[in-house]
Amino acid sequence: MIFLKIRLTEGPNESEIMKKLIVVITATITAFSWISLHAGPDSDQAAFEKYFTSKFPDTPVSDFINGVYSIDKPSREQWEEIEEFPPYELAIDSGKAAWNKPFANSKTYADCFENEGAVRGNYPYWDADRKEVVTLELAINECRVANGEEPLKYNKGKMADISAYMSYQSRGQKINVVIPDDPDAMAAYERGKEFYYSKRGQLNFSCFDCHGSGSGNLVRADKLSPALGHTSHFPVYRSKWGGMGTLHRRFGGCNKQVRAAAFKPQSQIYRELELFLTYMSNGLDFNGPGARK
Amino acid sequence: MFKKVKTTAVASLVATIMTLGLMSYANVGIVSNAIASDGFESSWAAADEQRKMAAKLGFEWRDTKKLLKKAKAANESGENEKAMKLVAKAHEQSNDAIAQQERESSAWQSRVPK
Repeated sequence: MIFLKIRLTEGPNESEIMKKLIVVITATITAFSWISLHAGPDSDQAAFEKYFTSKFPDTPVSDFINGVYSIDKPSREQWEEIEEFPPYELAIDSGKAAWNKPFANSKTYADCFENEGAVRGNYPYWDADRKEVVTLELAINECRVANGEEPLKYNKGKMADISAYMSYQSRGQKINVVIPDDPDAMAAYERGKEFYYSKRGQLNFSCFDCHGSGSGNLVRADKLSPALGHTSHFPVYRSKWGGMGTLHRRFGGCNKQVRAAAFKPQSQIYRELELFLTYMSNGLDFNGPGARK
Repeated sequence: MFKKVKTTAVASLVATIMTLGLMSYANVGIVSNAIASDGFESSWAAADEQRKMAAKLGFEWRDTKKLLKKAKAANESGENEKAMKLVAKAHEQSNDAIAQQERESSAWQSRVPK
């Protein structure tokens, strides 16, 4: 700064140059500050993946889709045995029957979804016309309503069954969420991101506190799963639930566990959270439905 | 005869004083209950308003609504002190939830992996 002051006194031409230089430096600093505060989804995803691959160097990145079993060998052995006769099999069968059963207007889910229901890889997505995030479960209910059927409840039951069947059909599809170059889409992504990292509830925990910085730690006898790959395997059969549940059922359960009021399944904020969290696992495979403790 | 009349008058006076006393006590009870009930209603409404504010911000805590429900039940069953304590707890929770939102509106960024 002293140098600049001295130089500014040296003459009118040099003064002009120095003024322009100051403007350029200030603009550059401002731009860098803005970029660091508003890193784009791509750099967010790269940093997110790196965080977990650094924290669990023995886990191949593709294995994070197996949740806690990617970092907990003893539990993995039990889980692999469970997978021989998976508890979600009945849900797949029930979902398949629902898929094939015509609606009252004689149409079926196949009239709404292509590829025999193997469409998990298309969700969630940003709908630019509606200016909102569309998830698979939302689309299932929209299909039903469009065909004169009652919507299903979002947390479990028939919704989890049909979602399980479609997820099973979609196994192996890549997670490839796209955030379009659209301020509304970016705002939705940012809201999901802010929700994910914000502490809430009486216990003052963020999602990341448990499944990021806390992943691998024990909660009672169980390890906390890493967030990378978290959305790949839903819906899941949870032993704790004694049945199937959707991703938003799990979101609500997590919120309640930290003593925060849960939001409704398929509420705007949970869909935006799903958008953000699924984007963080871009490049991994969908492998639902899953079985968890 | 005079003595008997005098005794009856004294007894009557005592009875009147006692009756007035009891009536007065009862009135005080009714008035104090009314004041307490009014205090409860306004405190409850203020706590619920704060809860709604926390909910609007997306930071309502899980048990706040339950506390307010319990407070209402306690008040209805005449447990005013317990009811007021529950209301105060619910109000405090909502204050903390709002403060949490204010803190987190910028603090969350520090947790994002770089």
